[in-house]
Amino acid sequence: MNSAVHVEAGGVKAPPRRSISSPLALLLRLAILALLDAGAIWLIYNLLRDGAYALAIVIGVVTLLLNGIYLRSELYPLQWVGPSLALLGIFVLYPIFSTIYTAFTNYGDGHLLTKQVAIRQLEREMYLPEGAPLFEWTAYVSPQGDYLLWLESPETGEKFIARPGQPVEPAEGEPPSQIDGYRQLSRAERLRHTQNLVALEFGQPPQVFRVSERQIGRAAEYEQRYTYDSAQDVMIDNATGKIYRPVRGTFTADDGSTLRPGFRVVIGLDNFRRLVTNPALRGPFISVFLWTVVFAAASVFITFALGLFLAIMFDVPEMPMRKLLRSLLLIPYAIPAFISVPIWVGLLNPQYGVVSNLIANIFGSAPSWFSDPFWAKIGILLIQLWLGFPYMFVISTGALQALPSDVYEAAEIDGASPIQAFWNITLPLLMITMGPLLVASFAFNFNNFVVIELFNKGGPPMSGTISPVGHTDILVTYTYRVAFASGRGADLGYAAAITVAIFLILVVITYFQFRYTHMLEERSENV
Amino acid sequence: MRNRNIILLSLLVVIAMALTACPAQPGAAPVAPTQPPAQEVVPTEAPAEEVTPTEAPAEEAAPAEVALTIWADDTRAPILEELGKQFEAQYGIPVVVTEKGFGNIRDDLKVAGPAGEGPDIIIGAHDWLGELVENGLLAEIELGDAADQFLPAAVQAFIYDGKLYGMPYATENVAFVYNPEIVEQVPATWSELTKLAAELESAGVVKQAYIRQEGDPYHFFPIQTAFGGYVFGLTEQGYDPTDVGIDSPGSIAAATWLDQMYKAGHLKAGSAVDYDIMHAAFENGDAAMLITGPWALPRIRESGVPYAVTTIPGEVQPAQPFLGVQGFMINAFSKNPLLAQTFLQEFVATEEAMQAIFDADPRPSAFLPVREKITDPDLAAFAAAGENGLAMPAIPEMSAVWSAWGDAIVLISQQREAPDVAFKNAAAQIRAAIAGN
Repeated sequence: MNSAVHVEAGGVKAPPRRSISSPLALLLRLAILALLDAGAIWLIYNLLRDGAYALAIVIGVVTLLLNGIYLRSELYPLQWVGPSLALLGIFVLYPIFSTIYTAFTNYGDGHLLTKQVAIRQLEREMYLPEGAPLFEWTAYVSPQGDYLLWLESPETGEKFIARPGQPVEPAEGEPPSQIDGYRQLSRAERLRHTQNLVALEFGQPPQVFRVSERQIGRAAEYEQRYTYDSAQDVMIDNATGKIYRPVRGTFTADDGSTLRPGFRVVIGLDNFRRLVTNPALRGPFISVFLWTVVFAAASVFITFALGLFLAIMFDVPEMPMRKLLRSLLLIPYAIPAFISVPIWVGLLNPQYGVVSNLIANIFGSAPSWFSDPFWAKIGILLIQLWLGFPYMFVISTGALQALPSDVYEAAEIDGASPIQAFWNITLPLLMITMGPLLVASFAFNFNNFVVIELFNKGGPPMSGTISPVGHTDILVTYTYRVAFASGRGADLGYAAAITVAIFLILVVITYFQFRYTHMLEERSENV
Repeated sequence: MRNRNIILLSLLVVIAMALTACPAQPGAAPVAPTQPPAQEVVPTEAPAEEVTPTEAPAEEAAPAEVALTIWADDTRAPILEELGKQFEAQYGIPVVVTEKGFGNIRDDLKVAGPAGEGPDIIIGAHDWLGELVENGLLAEIELGDAADQFLPAAVQAFIYDGKLYGMPYATENVAFVYNPEIVEQVPATWSELTKLAAELESAGVVKQAYIRQEGDPYHFFPIQTAFGGYVFGLTEQGYDPTDVGIDSPGSIAAATWLDQMYKAGHLKAGSAVDYDIMHAAFENGDAAMLITGPWALPRIRESGVPYAVTTIPGEVQPAQPFLGVQGFMINAFSKNPLLAQTFLQEFVATEEAMQAIFDADPRPSAFLPVREKITDPDLAAFAAAGENGLAMPAIPEMSAVWSAWGDAIVLISQQREAPDVAFKNAAAQIRAAIAGN
């Protein structure tokens, strides 16, 4: 509200309202906002119930801002970008911050629960002290909904009547149909009462019976296994007296034994420390990194080269069937990589693949696309070329249309050959529009998990490495392996730390690329 | 002007509240109204309990809405719904079965369980145990009176850290499948298979006698165990993650055998054979022997190729394939675990229910009375091949094994590394990963 007051003070003489002109428009706007708020409240309610507080807060703040934007006339200009800003916040900024936050926690398998829930689960655990007998129970319910148990030991024949909070009384004979106005529950009925019965303690200390949660019709003097001492923040094992202290999200005793489940906590820089000290990083990391750069750069270069070549070819009006061929060239782009990459895997199969057989028929032998590191890299780049050139073709075609024709006329008069014209006019001018796109394409391929995973999962394997890695693994597939083959299940905190690290690397690379394209733009101004 | 905005905003909130009024009532689950038990006390009990309740139960403070929820895949869901109806008829408690993709059940439980929105019972595979138990998502389970009617190996598979977490209903494992028109005498050992391959191939009877997926460790495990190898040492507490057996002498012997197969040309180095290529070769008669599972039976039958299923050849000892076991598990966050236990013990652990589960999706049952009655000879052969199978390790450390182990087999298959070097390095990689990098 502070800012609102401030704006108010500064803008007393607000300009006449333009936006809320007709009452109908106002009503419509209010109705839409109300619907939006309804959706937001419903979402927030559910998120809070599920414990997703951060997301609930984000959605709440975004909704409030949206309301502000559409209710206050001073914020009129923001109305046009309001929806996209809101979506940006929820779908882009929130996941980024959430990933960064996760990188500083131990979130992952074994540390999925919050501490509160983990404590609750541990405190639910019961144990039967040694030698304590099991009883069969018959339950009784009063008209008020109170319960009592008739207990009978199958071994000793001992019988008790146990009520919550009262001393246990000995009993004799068969269970009667009524005890002090309490009615016996039939076998069929009692299942509907188990949820209540299991939650109760029958008797008074020191003799307290509980209904077993696992064994049907059994009760015994079960005792709570663990008690949490919130003052000292320790978990006490009631059976052995052992004390467990929370260490990095796991209750750990002095002798190193631990309790399950663990819980998630912030562990500071540990994930990053682990990343840096990981021997897997000292080993094949450099070669993986170099291949990643080569892979991304080569993918961009070959697709751009082929795309531009075709675009120039089809820019010539004399080309026969120009429109049809142009459309056909788009087909590889229209087929999802999830379909075309596996097809290529089949085509390249050394024994059965059509392409490999064809090459073998012509040259005598086909390259081993899947077992030779060099040819595997060539293979993946060929697939990248197939998948990527139509995009570059489309973009280049568009960019070529926009080039001014007078420059070419001038060049022709000056006696420049078409080749010279291409290198000195077309390419520099194209780079103004294409440069940023190429950078974006590089960044995309730098993290192109899908193609590598679909083609050969990073294979063929390198031999003698300190952790499993393949010759065509790029950073993101390699780190995926490291994070999810850690021997501890999915380690999401660690994976998030790796993601943050890759993000930082990409930021640096992209920064230099933009500087380079900026240079190109400056040069092109001199053309 | 400010006042007007506040009024507008509060108006919006009121409207919004009105629009969202429904979910404000907790527990608006789509549950059939709990009618009072329709038939009073079906007298299934011993006559000693002749107690007919004197009053109508309806007048007491009724217990909170009770329902049992189950997540199952599309094959099992209709059967469980049927059992649920019987359960409701007997106990007046509705059973709500939600259909989910088999693989989604585990992931969804990890989200919904701690949020208190999970089901009471899920179906799943035993190798989920490591993940689910480590996350505190499963409750211990009892098999009740029918405990000794379950296949012991299947029950063993659901034991994690000495505690039982699942009631098994089906097992699956690979077996040896061959073309009886080409292979007249099934090789008893893998060395014999090498000899047979040499004979068949030199006589031109078949292009490639034995075919396998390049690098796949799951299908290689029976060969490895036949030569005396192992992955993790087995103790009474289960698999021991500190005892990695990939570089044990038996495992290396198996790797050496594989290497010889490639060196002799019985397997084609670097041929990148995958699951589909392997099966296509068998189905069109280019290959005569392979290791595969019951899931491949439909396509083999459809192809019309002559085939037979038998146990996997041994070597120094009988081959032990990995055993995958499917079963029922109870959510640790279930509000009524005793109810779930009762449903499983009284309605699922019965011959009729287990038979229905088997009929819907024929794979060897984990319930002995049903397993023993399997009439399909192929399925019976698969069941027999899994008789001494080893439960696939469910410990989280197993995630460190697959890719290192698979890479080693690939390196041998591509003839780029000697078998002992490849397997020793794989074991070193696995130990490093388990040690925590």
